[in-house]
Amino acid sequence: MFPDPARDYQCPDQLRCELKFGGGSPITKQPLVRLVNVWKRFGSIQALAGASLDVYPGEIHVVLGENGAGKTSLMCVLAGLYRPDQGEVLVNGQQFAVRTPADALKLGVTMVHQHFELVDNLSVWENVVLGAEGGRFALTRRRCHQAVRQLASEHGVEVDIDARVRDLPVGLQQKVEILKMLYRRARILILDEPTTFLTPQEVDTLLVTLQRLAASGLAILLVTHKLRDALRVGDRLTVMRGGRVVASLPAAGGTEELLVQWMMGEPPAAATKLLETARPAPPAPDAPVLLEVEETSTVGTHNRLRLQGISFRLRAGEIVGVAGVAGSGQRELAELLVGLLPVAAGRIRLSGVDITKLPIRDRLDRGLVLVPEDRVRDGILPGMTLAETVVLGLHRHLFPNVWYDFARAMQLGRNAIEQHAVRAPHPLIPSTYLSGGNIQKLILARAVETCRIRAEPVVVALNPSRGLDVRAVQHVHQQLRSVVGRGGAVLLVSEDLDELIGLCHHIVVLHRGQTVAEFDGPGYDRYSIGEAMLGSAA
Amino acid sequence: MGWQFFFDPEVLRQMVFVATPLVLAAQGELLIQRSGILNVSIEGMMALGAVVGFLVAYVTGAKLFGLVAAALAAAILGLVLGYAAITLHAPQLTIGLALFILGTGLSSLLYRMVIGLRFLPPMIATFPAVEVPVLSELPIVGRWLFRVPAPSYVVIGVVAIMHLFLFHTTIGLRVRATGENPRCADSLGIPVTRLRYACLMIGGMLIGVAGALLPMMLTGTYSEGMVGGRGWISLMLVILGRWVPFGTLMGAWLFGYVDALQYRLGLTIQTVPPQFMLMLPYVFVVLVAIRAYRGAQAPQALLKPYDREARA
Repeated sequence: MFPDPARDYQCPDQLRCELKFGGGSPITKQPLVRLVNVWKRFGSIQALAGASLDVYPGEIHVVLGENGAGKTSLMCVLAGLYRPDQGEVLVNGQQFAVRTPADALKLGVTMVHQHFELVDNLSVWENVVLGAEGGRFALTRRRCHQAVRQLASEHGVEVDIDARVRDLPVGLQQKVEILKMLYRRARILILDEPTTFLTPQEVDTLLVTLQRLAASGLAILLVTHKLRDALRVGDRLTVMRGGRVVASLPAAGGTEELLVQWMMGEPPAAATKLLETARPAPPAPDAPVLLEVEETSTVGTHNRLRLQGISFRLRAGEIVGVAGVAGSGQRELAELLVGLLPVAAGRIRLSGVDITKLPIRDRLDRGLVLVPEDRVRDGILPGMTLAETVVLGLHRHLFPNVWYDFARAMQLGRNAIEQHAVRAPHPLIPSTYLSGGNIQKLILARAVETCRIRAEPVVVALNPSRGLDVRAVQHVHQQLRSVVGRGGAVLLVSEDLDELIGLCHHIVVLHRGQTVAEFDGPGYDRYSIGEAMLGSAA
Repeated sequence: MGWQFFFDPEVLRQMVFVATPLVLAAQGELLIQRSGILNVSIEGMMALGAVVGFLVAYVTGAKLFGLVAAALAAAILGLVLGYAAITLHAPQLTIGLALFILGTGLSSLLYRMVIGLRFLPPMIATFPAVEVPVLSELPIVGRWLFRVPAPSYVVIGVVAIMHLFLFHTTIGLRVRATGENPRCADSLGIPVTRLRYACLMIGGMLIGVAGALLPMMLTGTYSEGMVGGRGWISLMLVILGRWVPFGTLMGAWLFGYVDALQYRLGLTIQTVPPQFMLMLPYVFVVLVAIRAYRGAQAPQALLKPYDREARA
């Protein structure tokens, strides 16, 4: 059922030994750890199909690949979180059983997950020492305190070690994670997509830190899908696709074109096309303003940030991006627009009509469409059929009377499969059976269909491409462009600055619930946007 | 009726006395919840503890044996919950409710099987009040805090130990981490499954002993339904005390105080029906709970089974 693992594995041992690394010196070091021919299956998904990896001390090894390529799974095997169905871990040429994270820790393997694994309600120092507190039974606060403080100052991390982790910004949480691993005397540090939620400035600092750590002898495994980061700091590159390692080479030998081809598994022309995020043509200067938010604020609660002085406008034919560090009020902004959060002050106008006090239903009837962040929880009816999920939200328009028109729903479901490329055998399949990418396609199909029946639709999309593979992302962007192409407008909220820069006409920056800056494209300056995201810009 | 009425040493003594089983059961539940498991079968565990404790104490004549047996009986229920919730990843609420019903039913059955129907119920001697020398002569606190039965002192000690354990030992830190983020704990080499089982067993034992204290401290005999909602109250006390040992102690004392006071009020004020007075502590607790529940932070992994290989 699955192709021979040897076939796609392009980098056999002989070849690798001829490769050079680290600025031209021949390989003399012994690998710290080798993963050999690892297989892992989750239900119907073959996550790993014979992947192999060598880890050398003192270098940054970048593991590249698109979402779903098996990068994270392979790292989880190394960290003892996943038990492989097949394959082995070799240390000094000898087999080493890594069955639990505790085994991996003995090897010095530590992993910083994409969304971090910190205990939010504990303090920084408690998080750092957790599981390696020292002492037999008593938790000696003073000694732990001192050890953590010393470690933090050694590595130049400025953090209040008594602060609760949940109160720290994302960038600092990541530093705490790294400190935690260093405290455990890590010899191999795995970082899974560490740059995703960081501003360009923070990425710079992180990469410098990693280079310094590698220079001190640590092996760094940097998992990413971003070529730019990979080429900047990687000493060695490994490209994964479909659960296999398709190439492993010294960084000097990798060009962007080559890497893209390997990652996508497509010929050069098709591969670069997939990576493109063409911005649609700018709207006419006299295009009507569809959505206007004026100095709007909300009342904060214990789990909802307070929005203050939110102002921006959205013209027909325009994509406006909302940038911000995670948790800067993006979710609250979407909820405010849809009508889930009451407005405390200010005004929201949709196509010139004041909707500030209108309930959700009226807003939707006037052309507001939400593409929710958590697509499984908020976007679909998991137990119900694809057809039923598609008509959701359109039902009032489609079925103005009490009757549910089965034939109409089926027609729409078929339409979603045929025109919007949702991969499903028929419209009666339960929605949960779809993959993440297909669920997102379904939700966008619904949004696009809604836009067709409204005169001036405004789509509010929250991180619509998070966790999708490159083809699904391409599809999402295409759908958003088609909305603006037909005279609608899109508010794209994303934590991925690259996505915003590639797609948006304007970028509004949110910081602590306030719109602090606005940038006009094209020709954005990443660093000034980053500064605004961090709140340091005027 | 002046302020002395509300701070009468006898009312305060009653408060400590009545609250004792509640405090102990709440400490057990607190430990279990801190490790990330919601045990809603406290009422059943206490009922089982009450009957087993009573029967063993009655047959052997030694209350200590009764207490040990009650602890073991409730720990077995805890083990069942653990196997379902930790190993099989079953829904904790469903299993907990099933065990509540099992425990309640089993306690009646056991009593009937061993004692049968009797005209006069068998009795055991209850724990006598112990006056601590010197301390009981202290002004202000001496006359109530230091003139209660031995278990009351022990239970206050348990609260202190629980506090020290959770916040000043390495294992305590690991238990807290397990209840907040088991994946984090696991990836740092902390044995999540073993810790959860251990907390469930030890917590279950405390709850069982709390149940056994009901016949041993309060009535001297066993009667059906004698737990009378104390298990549920303990569950609520954990929330009221915000998952902190001394917080739950204060909550339990508050409940005990209103309970003791209502007896007093019932004797003093004859015009109010006694049923209304009996209701007061519960109403009071509901009101306080509504207030305290705002912003209370449960352990974040509560109710969530942990599976290392589950993909988020």
